[in-house]
Amino acid sequence: MLKMTHLSKVYRTEVVETYALRDFNINVNEGEFVAVTGPSGSGKTTFLTIAGLLETFTGGQYHLDGVEVSNLNDNERSKIRNEKIGFIFQAFNLIPDLNVYDNVEVPLRYRGMKSPERKDRIMNALERVGLASRAKHYPAELSGGQQQRVAIARALAGSPRLLLADEPTGNLDTQMARGVMELLEEIHREGATIVMVTHDPELAARAQRNVHIIDGQVVDLAEDPRFHHAVHSARANSPA
Amino acid sequence: MFAYYLQLGLRSLRKNPLLTLLMVLAIGCGVAASMTTYSVFRATSNNPIPQKSSQLYVPQIDNWGPDSSKDNKGEPPNAMTYTDAVNLMRDKRAKRQTALYPTAVSIVPADASMLPFRETSYGWYADAFGMFDIPFQYGQGWTAGEDESHASVAVIGKALNEKLFNGGNSVGKNINLNGRDYRIVGVADKWNPEPVFYDVTNTNGFDDPIQVFIPFTRAVELKTPTSGNNNCNHDPGKGWDEWIRSECVWLGFWAELPTKAEADAYRQYLNGYSAEQQRAGRFRWAPNTRLRNVVEWLDYQKVVPQEAKVSLMVSLGFLLICLVNTVGLLLAKFMRRSSEIGVRRALGATRREIYIQFLIEAAAIGLAGGVVGLLLTGLGVMGVSLVFEPDIAKLATLDVSLVLLTVLVAILATVLAAFYPTWRAAQVQPAWQLKSN
Amino acid sequence: MLQIKPILAALKRHKAGTVLIALQIALTLAIVCNALFIISQRLDRVHRPTGLVESDLMAIQNRFVGTEENNAAPLIKADLAALRQLPGVQDVVAVNSYPLRGGGWSTGVRTDVDAKDSKAHTTQYFGDEHTLATMGVRLVEGRNFRSDEIVEADPQAIPDPAAIIVSKALADKMYPDGHALGKTLYIGDSKKPSTIVGIVERLQVPWNGTWSDSFYENSLIQPVQLTSAFTNYLIRAKPGQLGDVLKAAPAALVKVNRMRVIPSDRGVRTFAEVREHAYKGDRGMAILMGVVCLVLLGITAAGIVGLTSFWVGQRRKQIGVRRALGATKHDILSYFLTENLLIGVAGVVIGALLAIAMNLWLVTQYEMARLSVPYVLVGVAALLLLGQGATLAPAMRASRVPPVEATRSV
Repeated sequence: MLKMTHLSKVYRTEVVETYALRDFNINVNEGEFVAVTGPSGSGKTTFLTIAGLLETFTGGQYHLDGVEVSNLNDNERSKIRNEKIGFIFQAFNLIPDLNVYDNVEVPLRYRGMKSPERKDRIMNALERVGLASRAKHYPAELSGGQQQRVAIARALAGSPRLLLADEPTGNLDTQMARGVMELLEEIHREGATIVMVTHDPELAARAQRNVHIIDGQVVDLAEDPRFHHAVHSARANSPA
Repeated sequence: MFAYYLQLGLRSLRKNPLLTLLMVLAIGCGVAASMTTYSVFRATSNNPIPQKSSQLYVPQIDNWGPDSSKDNKGEPPNAMTYTDAVNLMRDKRAKRQTALYPTAVSIVPADASMLPFRETSYGWYADAFGMFDIPFQYGQGWTAGEDESHASVAVIGKALNEKLFNGGNSVGKNINLNGRDYRIVGVADKWNPEPVFYDVTNTNGFDDPIQVFIPFTRAVELKTPTSGNNNCNHDPGKGWDEWIRSECVWLGFWAELPTKAEADAYRQYLNGYSAEQQRAGRFRWAPNTRLRNVVEWLDYQKVVPQEAKVSLMVSLGFLLICLVNTVGLLLAKFMRRSSEIGVRRALGATRREIYIQFLIEAAAIGLAGGVVGLLLTGLGVMGVSLVFEPDIAKLATLDVSLVLLTVLVAILATVLAAFYPTWRAAQVQPAWQLKSN
Repeated sequence: MLQIKPILAALKRHKAGTVLIALQIALTLAIVCNALFIISQRLDRVHRPTGLVESDLMAIQNRFVGTEENNAAPLIKADLAALRQLPGVQDVVAVNSYPLRGGGWSTGVRTDVDAKDSKAHTTQYFGDEHTLATMGVRLVEGRNFRSDEIVEADPQAIPDPAAIIVSKALADKMYPDGHALGKTLYIGDSKKPSTIVGIVERLQVPWNGTWSDSFYENSLIQPVQLTSAFTNYLIRAKPGQLGDVLKAAPAALVKVNRMRVIPSDRGVRTFAEVREHAYKGDRGMAILMGVVCLVLLGITAAGIVGLTSFWVGQRRKQIGVRRALGATKHDILSYFLTENLLIGVAGVVIGALLAIAMNLWLVTQYEMARLSVPYVLVGVAALLLLGQGATLAPAMRASRVPPVEATRSV
């Protein structure tokens, strides 16, 4: 589904070159639920933005759903984002000027979908996250957890092959975070591929597989005892 | 504190130079357009003789009847017949009064090397000099006795005296008008009321100052034609004598009536006179008269040119648009700083202080706009002659009061425009504004 | 892709900015429409033909001094003779007035001797048989005056002429069937008929203000040489010799007789100068309104650029989100252009109503004509285009917001 080989990303300023990703290799299979962890500044968000075609990369190769994306133009990239990828951001990123319904509609509009189909999909997505009754509310009128569920509905409405989540529970309290996490697991069980960036070991533990990034490179978890220990203890505490 | 706010305002203006420039230019253009057209409007709507404008009156008598006046909202003709003017002069019911007309006379210089030339010239009665407060450099006006004796006397203007007599005391010397000698009895000092209220019908309100005054009675005796308008409702017949006895109107008339009681009495007199003419069979209609003072007369005669009014209206619309524009830009500018406002509020700034800070910033923009507006108004005033007659254009000047008004209007307008954006800014809740959207 | 509903929903949350832009567009449209209308009306007036061949034509304003007011016939005769002898002069006539001079005579005319009201208003020109040739007006029917028809007359005692020449406009007004030649008119109160012996294609009245608009081509020429001490000489120079005649003619007049006044300003003018002076106000008003329009459109455009830029700045994050959700650059561009178009349409609808209201008010206050629809449509199109043009730059900037903006905090 998602395969990066020898990928690198360099940020250049006038004085320095900074490698955000260096010889980066990862392979995520169809239907997997992968958690990407790592300390701040390790490059995990850069990885996600490149994975989501929000940014280009400097070197290496990236195959998404079997397509090499480095040569795609801006419009083609937009189309892929729109049809294949669903985003869930830490800050929810709902459009404040639009109500819940209109927010979920945004990607469907860009897909050029007809109104009746849009309506079906939007209501299905909202029912799935349990917010069908709030369709006319504006984001400011919802709690953080509800806003993130709207964002998930927006990501789901277009039936994407790949869900990318960036600290999806980072702005939520524990209770709400648990709800959102359960929703993601449910979506995964239904067959979606999910890549989630998080620094929370407890969340990471609930994924099928963990990928750890340090200094722009994937490292073998077994070689990092601190993390190994954290994951181990999290698993021990986990009710599942 | 004021200095602090001013400093903050100036810093903020420097931060968005393009937006600031836009606002300053918009205000400058709007104010300049309004002030330029206002300068013309002010000149043309000026009260030319403020000390007496409520004491000097123009009587009108309807000698043409409803057939003609129905086309003119029932108003009598704008000028008077010789018959009525002479009758009113004879009855002498005002403190002072005069009939007048612009006389077509040419000046023949004594120096044979100079060609004859024309100056603005009027025939009127001795009373006129006192009525119109005409100042004298040398000598004085002629007497009522000289009116009656049709004396060949003249008063000349300062400029003409400069030209003919090098500015010396020319009283007692002769001036040749149309080939006849007139004895100079006085030299009028500079007298240049604007608009020229005394003869609006022939000048539309703007003309060169009068340089030659001669007795009305003498001018008529010599059959001196009018250089102004002559309007007839019927064929006046042949020749001068039939013409001055006809119902053609060609004379101006002024009466000085110092009190309201005198004006009311004069009104009654005019109606009585018209009734008398009706009884005598000259008028076959009921008396229809008017008595208007200077201000009413200038207004009725529409002395302010249509161009001046229309362009003033358009300019005010222009200023309004510039202000709407400024409201929008200020709103953008202030709201962009909502995080700053939130932090300031969190640090203890009251709403009032936010108001003051932003209004001072707006006033600074207004001041800059005023300066730009001043420059553009200067250009605009120079360009007035493009649109208006030279007689009018030369009256539009950038004087101290216009300069002050320009800057004041710019600042007031901008502060006014800033009220809504400032109110919005003051509504920002105290917070460490972190949310970006 | 049009996305009107969500744009409207978003605009509802930005009422102040929306209202301000719409209001500005509306007011600008109202003023621009009326200004354009004033410009076109003034220019129409300026471009009205006089009926004269205006090149090689000049005018001298003359007043004799020291002669009896209405007894200047011999002096005029001497002047005409002297002027006709000048080498560069083709023809000369002494007339009471001519088109665009600003002052002249006018009267009512009737076709029925017993009619109480006149059928039309017309200007009266008095001149001899040289009048048509000097002015260069084109005779389309009938004949010119014969020299034996010309009479000398005191302006206060003009005999009713047996023969007259009229402009086609007056002829058609008096005899709409088109057969005016040979028919008679009664001038003013006269009981004596005057026969139309000639019809000229076009001859404008001396005035160019609004008051004469209703009869601006109604002209009547009488075969009369006025004996007034005040007269106007119209001189037609031979082709290319106007410059010489302009100097020679006044000098020749002073040589004939010094006792005259030819005003130093505007006493001697080419017809081009006459025209320029006559239309100075109209031209100036057109220029003023043009400048007002341009500056106004500039300011409105600048205002739209300013507010749209602010909106773009304010919405960078959501533009990033939209891009992340699959919007192309073009989608973002068209979002802002559509948004401006919606505001613009609201603005021009209000503006068109305002423009008409403003014009109706001007009509009641001043002598102005009714605004015609094409001007409103031109104004509407101009403002919508202006809005789109002004939005383009900020919208382009918006479309360049990278999708990764969505992941940035603050």
